[in-house]
Amino acid sequence: MDHSHHMGMSTMDHNSTMSPSHHHTTTSASHSHDHMMMMMPMTFYFGFKNVELLFSGLVINTAGEMAGAFVAVFLLAMFYEGLKIARESLLRKSQVSIRYNSMPVPGPNGTILMETHKTVGQQMLSFPHLLQTVLHIIQVVISYFLMLIFMTYNGYLCIAVAAGAGTGYFLFSWKKAVVVDITEHCH
Amino acid sequence: MAMHFIFSDEVVLLFDFWKVHSPTGMALSVLVVLLLAVLFESIKVGKVRLLHQALASLPIPTSQQLIEETDQDSSNSDSPPVSRSHLRWFLCHFGQSLLHVTQVVIGYFMMLAVMSYNTWIFFGVVLGSGVGYYLAYPLLSMT
Repeated sequence: MDHSHHMGMSTMDHNSTMSPSHHHTTTSASHSHDHMMMMMPMTFYFGFKNVELLFSGLVINTAGEMAGAFVAVFLLAMFYEGLKIARESLLRKSQVSIRYNSMPVPGPNGTILMETHKTVGQQMLSFPHLLQTVLHIIQVVISYFLMLIFMTYNGYLCIAVAAGAGTGYFLFSWKKAVVVDITEHCH
Repeated sequence: MAMHFIFSDEVVLLFDFWKVHSPTGMALSVLVVLLLAVLFESIKVGKVRLLHQALASLPIPTSQQLIEETDQDSSNSDSPPVSRSHLRWFLCHFGQSLLHVTQVVIGYFMMLAVMSYNTWIFFGVVLGSGVGYYLAYPLLSMT
């Protein structure tokens, strides 16, 4: 009985290309589930078989491929942290030049006072602002990629994201913490 | 996977062993997620305060020495023995990096918790973020 039922299901599988295949694999599985088997894992797991990564052609099937993906994700997370620090330093550099405008204004009793205007902003069509915008787009895309990678719930890839973020923060924020905050103390 | 918010007392959160079946289990899970969100906000404030404390405790000449050191050719792995304040700065920055990793991981855990599309959990995350911000951010401007 079970065998014919299984055969019936598999022929249906071949004929109907429109229906999703995982429905049929669920019902013909030997151990029964009370709900539909999820294609996307919802809990953390450690494995390297049939791991889809971001794009449809990118599937990890061997340990070597997983190691390569680990390194790539690690470098991506490091690059993301570096991009954040680079954007901050670029913003600070482009703002220093137009920060203080001093102009003489008449004060009380006929004296001339120097009024210092602090403008912290950029012109919209200036090159630094356009560069910041391009870098912002890149940062948003990379942050969403990292979120999607973490969403695969694969333990190795999640560890790669966390380790890459930590290493990137450690390497890039080292100099920033020393240099930039010193200038802040001077103000 | 359900792609809309649902009110349910059953959810599996993050790990295989975190299965919720009952209202009490759900209440406990919401509390845990709330505390996680509070921790997340406090870590954000804690990082900034730690940095300020480290910079305040280190004397200014040492910081300038650090600038000179980082500007020089940094190919000296066998450098002269590090002074105590340099070591302190290194340890402080290493601690900051560990705090950053914790912040990143907790942030992703919160994102995955919201991704369960369970409305109670979502409320827990949002409320926890609010409570955490309320409690932690005044400490930012405190000297």
